[in-house]
Amino acid sequence: MLAEENRLDLFSFTSAEIAALLLSLKVACWCTLVIAIPGVAIAWLLARKDFLGKTLLDSLVHLPLVLPPVVPGFILLLLLGNQGFLGKWLHALFGITVAFTWVGAVIASALMALPLMVRSTRLAISLVDVRLEDAAKTLGAQPFWIFLTITLPLAFPGILTGLILAFSRSLGEFGATITFVGNIEGETRTLPLAIYTYTQIPGGDLPAMRLVTLSILIALAALYCGDLLERKMQKRLGVDHGRD
Amino acid sequence: MAVIDIDLKFERPAFKLNVKFSSDHLATGLFGPSGSGKSTLLSLLAGLIRPQNGHFVLDGIPLIDCAQGIHVPAHQRRIGMVFQESRLFPHLSVQANLAYGLKLLAEKNQQFTMQKIVDLLEIGDLLAQKPDQLSGGQKQRVALGRALLTSPRLLLLDEPLAALDMRLRDQILPFLRRVKEETKIPMLYVSHSIDETLFLTQQLAIIEAGEIVASGDFHAVMHDRHALGLALSLGLDNLLHATLIESHALLGYGLARCGKHMLVIPHGSHKLGDEIAIAFSSSNVALSTQRLHHVTIQNQLQGMVTSIDIIDYRTLVSIDVGFKLIAEVSAKSIEALGLAVGSELYCLVKTQAIRSYALS
Repeated sequence: MLAEENRLDLFSFTSAEIAALLLSLKVACWCTLVIAIPGVAIAWLLARKDFLGKTLLDSLVHLPLVLPPVVPGFILLLLLGNQGFLGKWLHALFGITVAFTWVGAVIASALMALPLMVRSTRLAISLVDVRLEDAAKTLGAQPFWIFLTITLPLAFPGILTGLILAFSRSLGEFGATITFVGNIEGETRTLPLAIYTYTQIPGGDLPAMRLVTLSILIALAALYCGDLLERKMQKRLGVDHGRD
Repeated sequence: MAVIDIDLKFERPAFKLNVKFSSDHLATGLFGPSGSGKSTLLSLLAGLIRPQNGHFVLDGIPLIDCAQGIHVPAHQRRIGMVFQESRLFPHLSVQANLAYGLKLLAEKNQQFTMQKIVDLLEIGDLLAQKPDQLSGGQKQRVALGRALLTSPRLLLLDEPLAALDMRLRDQILPFLRRVKEETKIPMLYVSHSIDETLFLTQQLAIIEAGEIVASGDFHAVMHDRHALGLALSLGLDNLLHATLIESHALLGYGLARCGKHMLVIPHGSHKLGDEIAIAFSSSNVALSTQRLHHVTIQNQLQGMVTSIDIIDYRTLVSIDVGFKLIAEVSAKSIEALGLAVGSELYCLVKTQAIRSYALS
């Protein structure tokens, strides 16, 4: 009887849980959108250009990957917090506050997801044959047009992988988010934060379990869809590298 | 005015290119051993790399002039290029590949329509396919069409047939010739194969260690002192211009008139009256101080020794028989026959050692 009740409970969500889920998806979608263009731009720079400070840029982008997530969160708080250097200025000029809002959660997870996006995209761009780009030049195409019509489509499977990794990373973001924007229900309490909160209160095991199940399902779906899309894309592009 | 005027210097660690060359012919064949700078030269002309010094003028328009700081970017040069590996865009259909450059070209500059090029190269059936569905020969035809549709002022062909087998090469060559004759676009054709090149043009330029060592009509070039090493390696040290006057398909031979001489050559696909090139290696020429009667060798050309040279341990005898022939013999036989400049003798060439090529 108890087991039956538990099983049913696994799928009956409370409004707070649904709010956490929707917030997580919103933050993850925005995070993916926000880093798409800068991520591709940085990846292209790192893959194709030699410039002063390239190693520094590379290191800075990858730093969040190796630091404890609390550290970037704390740095964001120092910079963009209400008393922070940039935050004060943003508030005074535009009345914008990002600390302790869902926008701040997007910023925090974007920072954490960027290295994954850049790594995957950089590899994909460096695998695009420069000789094809040269051929496009002799056909009269300008550099940016070549990027749009040759480099980008051919690197797209890798870019897609990067975006999906970024999306998944954002769904799982915890440390930087809780440090920078706190744990406010309905505003910044994403799925992982909600799970954490439930584990801290008596009787919260069941809701925590429900959200854990949900997290696993979403992550699996994202990875599965990504893989499916990537395969389809590679087939369509006629670039089936790495899959025999 | 010359169609092409090139004087370019380009340096890279362990490589130096210093090319001076001009031509007012429609097509020029560029020959040279690998690593001699052929592809580098084409990349310079196309604008894919920058020279340190020099100029490049095409049809009176300076595309590179280092002294004046002119370096027209590749995409504004309107120089078409066909590469050895076709370089079709794998994500685009044949149709989209062909249209890629055409769409970027101002309408007033569009010399050819898609239909005309598709018909010229007979690629109408391939338009919907992706490059990975094409054979090597089809890919090269599409790559050629893609370049032609940009209405180039100069077409650079970088060993476009090198990756194809003999049979396919023979299929594509007529297309290249048709392109040359119908489009009148100047071409620079890089190839390792003399057959291919002679099929397209008799104008050759020889590049060695980053320098053009000889250029001009193939006959003059092949007998140029500088080009001799290359000619020897190609087995083309004796390259003659002839006219086919008799053809005996059943008996397997033909008769070609070459100056005042008549040569027996193996039967080929040429027609009576065709201008042909005849080639045989210097090592297939034997020398005799008198005409031989009890021998199967039909081609016996009388002449006089003009020089005896030793190049890379090879003894080469030049004989004037009305034109110049080169024979490679052993140093011992020179001694035995007592050959010297001014000696009268006969050059013996076996029919089966002769190759013949159609001239365009």
